Formats: sequence, C-alpha cells, structure tokens
Amino acid sequence: MENSNTITIVFEDEQPMLQAIKKIRESGAEIIDVLTPFPVHGLDTALSMKRSRIPWVGFFGGLFGGLLGFGFQAWVFTVDYPLVFGGKPLLSVPSFIPVTFECTILFAGLSMAGAFLIKSKLKPDKKFEPIDPGITDDKFLVLVDGTGDTSADKIKSVLVGIGITEIK
Amino acid sequence: MEEQFKFTKQYRNILGIVAITGLLVFMASVFIFKPVASRVWANVLLNNQYFLGIALGGAFFLAVHRIAWSGWHTALQRIPEALTSFLPIAFLLMGILYFGMHDLYHWSHYEGHDPILEGKSAWLNMPFFFIRMLVYFAGWIALTRAMRKNTDMLQDSEDVKYHNRRKVFAGLFLVFFAVTVSASAWDWLMSIDAHWYSTIYGWYVFIGMFVTSLAFMIVLIWFLKRVGYLEFIRTDHVHDLGKLLFAFSVFWTYLWFSQYILIWYGHIPEETVYFIQRREDFEFIFWLNLALNFIIPFFALMKLQSKKQINWLASIAGIVLIGHWIDYYQMIMPGAVGENAGIGVPEISLTVAYLGIFLIVILKSLASRPLIVNNDPFIEESLHYES
Repeated sequence: MENSNTITIVFEDEQPMLQAIKKIRESGAEIIDVLTPFPVHGLDTALSMKRSRIPWVGFFGGLFGGLLGFGFQAWVFTVDYPLVFGGKPLLSVPSFIPVTFECTILFAGLSMAGAFLIKSKLKPDKKFEPIDPGITDDKFLVLVDGTGDTSADKIKSVLVGIGITEIK
Repeated sequence: MEEQFKFTKQYRNILGIVAITGLLVFMASVFIFKPVASRVWANVLLNNQYFLGIALGGAFFLAVHRIAWSGWHTALQRIPEALTSFLPIAFLLMGILYFGMHDLYHWSHYEGHDPILEGKSAWLNMPFFFIRMLVYFAGWIALTRAMRKNTDMLQDSEDVKYHNRRKVFAGLFLVFFAVTVSASAWDWLMSIDAHWYSTIYGWYVFIGMFVTSLAFMIVLIWFLKRVGYLEFIRTDHVHDLGKLLFAFSVFWTYLWFSQYILIWYGHIPEETVYFIQRREDFEFIFWLNLALNFIIPFFALMKLQSKKQINWLASIAGIVLIGHWIDYYQMIMPGAVGENAGIGVPEISLTVAYLGIFLIVILKSLASRPLIVNNDPFIEESLHYES
C-alpha cells in the first residue's frame, strides 16, 4: 500500500475507467496514479498529463553516443594506433558511420531506459508490493488521494452508474 | 457525410495554362539553346520516372495498409487512389522513350566488341525492353484500376465482400510490384550506366518513390484543407503521415549509405566509376541530394509538434519533393548527358509542364467521386483516430 489514505478503484474495462476519471476530476478529488494492463488511448489527455521529457534524454544521449563513437574511432585510427587498411586514408569517415550509428542508438536507448528507471525509483532492491493482485492480470486501477474530505463513499456517489468492480 | 471536391473551371484553366506554358517554354528552349539530344530525352525520362513514382507510391501506400487491414488511413484513402489514376498517362509518356532510346541508353546501339554488354544482352535488348515495359504497366494499371473500381463499388453498396476483396487486390499488387519496381528501376535508370551495376539499386529507387509520394500526399492534403475540404482529416492523420515521411526519409538514407559504403569499401574500378563521376563532376548535386532528403527532414521533423502542424510539415514535404527530383537528376544525368547536363530552362519548364498535366489528371479523378468512402467498415475508426 502506498499509504492508508489512498482510495483504490478497480475496473474491468477501459471505457468505464476513462468515464470515471473524468467524473472524479470534476468532483475535485486528486488522482495519484492509474495502473492499466496495456496503454490506453486518451488516458494522457483525460489526466491532463504534461508531455514526457524523455525524448530530450534520448536526443542528448544519442548525440553524446554518436560523438563518442565517432571521436573514439577517429582517435584510435589516427593517433593511438594508425593503421592503413584497404588503401584508405587514416581518417576515412564512411567506414566510421556504421559504428557511429550503432553508438547513437545504443546510448539513446540506454539513457532513456536509465532515465525511466531513475525517475520511477526502480532500484534493484525494489520489492514488489501489489496494491491489488489484479494489476498483474487484467484489472484497471485508479488511485485517488484520500486525504482531506475525499472518502470512498464520496467517490462511490460520484461514480453512480459506472461499472466499478471494487472500491476500497 | 458527403463531401466532393469540385474541380472547377478556374482550376482547370490555371493548370492548363501552366502545363501549356511549360511545354511551350520547353520547346522554345530546345530551339533556342539547342541542348544535346540526350539532355532533352533525359529530361523526359526524369519527369516520367518522378511522376510515375508518385503514382506508384500511392498504390503501394494503399496496398500495404489494406493488406494489414489498417483503419487509420481509410479517411484519406481517396488521395493515394487519385494519384494512381496517372498511371495510363505515365505509360504513354514512357512509351515516347522509344524515339530517344539511342540518346539515352548506349547499350541499345554499341558497336564493336563489348564483353560486358554482350553478357547482358539477354536482358538489355530493344524488343525485350519494350515487352517488359508493357508488362509492368499492364499489371500496374490493371490492378490499380481494379482497386479504384472496387472502392467505387464499396461507395454504392454495403456488401462486405467489396471490403474483403481489397485484401486480394492488395496482395496481388504487392507481389507484382515487388518484382516489377526493382526490374523497372534496372531498365529505365540503372541501364543508363550499362557497364555498372548495384544490387540494392531497385530498392533505393523504390523507397525514393514512396517518400516522394508521401510528400506529395501531404502537400495535396495541405492544399485541399486550405481551400476548405477534408475537415475530417484530423491532426492525428497528419501526424501519422509526418511519421511515415520522417521514417522513410531515414530509410532512404540507410539505403543510400548501404549502396555507397559497399562500393567505396570494395574499391573495384568497375563499381566506383559511378560515384567518382558523381562526386567529381556533380559534386554540388551529390551533397545537395543528401542535405534535402536526409539532413533537413531528419532535423526538421524530429519534434512531435513539427509532424502535427500541417503548414510546417507541408513545407518540409515540399523540400523533400525537390530533393527527390534532385535524386533522380543525379541518377540519370551523369550517365546519360555527362558534361552537357545542367539545371536550366529546359529542366524547370518541362517539370512545370508535367506537374500541370499530373495535377489535372489526379484532381479530375479526385473530383469524380466523394472524398470519403462511407461504407468502409473502418471509416468510423478512422474518423475518431488517435495517433
């Protein structure tokens, strides 16, 4: 449990969940998190989430990787261990491109994965504490902040007519 | 929803004047500047290939989406479908090359002993060249015509069999296209440098076609939206077209580089002659090609918003359209014209004339039917599509 003041609402399907999110936000309650078994279209807009900054991490990671890969090859083949092969000049740019390309992708990918892990606080010793066993299967969970005057009963009254499986 | 593009007299007159003026200026420039015959024919070939590529790219776009039963593209399917209506005209224009064969393809009239060309003579000979041309166009025209007719049937009838039939046509087209697009690239473009060969050439030309076609579709949608049509084409559709343009520009570069590095690395004189000619005699065009088709679309379309805003996307697509014209230019001119080549009045005027004819044909086809296929089972999905 994140904390004892969190209200957990379980849904069977994505459409009731999206309707419920709209109603909950209209009622003034704050949604802490939403857990779904697959990416749901329109969820980001329903939660008015800001765009992720992770593409920037990818861009600069890729830029760094590309420069590193190119720079390393250029240094090795001209300064550290000059070796003529295939009758080409020492600094033969086309032959460096495949490795530069691969380094760009590698660093872009790893930096994005790393940034995600750090931001989500997923350390290696992180224990798995399921809020509800259903999230490992097919259930949709909405976590609402239960501090202040928001209570499970109030949320229940807001969500009349929407198919909820469980609220606790 | 019922919306139909009106191809008004005004459009027809403007485009007709553009086409005729272009043609007259081209003829005048031929008489005044007296360019070598090969330059005239190379221009015809370049524009044939360029506009044929846009039409075939549209057919490929449809086939590849339909075989996957894609939903998102159904709102805009009339646009690529209209592009394919140019294929019969492209056939006539390509047939004109019969009169310019000897100016373009030196394999058609070599004298003396040439072991390389003799080795290739089973494929590169005049009768077979035109038989193949006939086969390619017969297949392309028949299949795209069947696809358009089938969509018309779907417009009028709610029978789901017309929808299911699309997958059959798409499959047939893709199989036929996979072979013929490569073979036609060898015939019309690679055989200009008949002593030279590259095994990736067919795919390089094909991806160029597809990128050109995507760019053209984006510009056409931008224009139609500007004059008040296609309200139902959402930002999400534009975003997806932008993603495709970005991705296939990168893929084009991948193929460009794959061809270049193997030839550069292998360093076999028979192969390197192709790039030596381009890098020494056509140096500016060589680098311009990469700048317009890779550097600009790659950096200009990297951010999310740049792919969603149609004004920005259409201007980048315009640059890519020029870029792929340049790409065909550097494929054709060094081998066919050599030192007499240049970009001047004949090149620009003929391209303008072709553009006028092309637009008349495709806009007429677009105007002949509603812009949206109401009975398409995926149309609701497409109208509410989120990218």
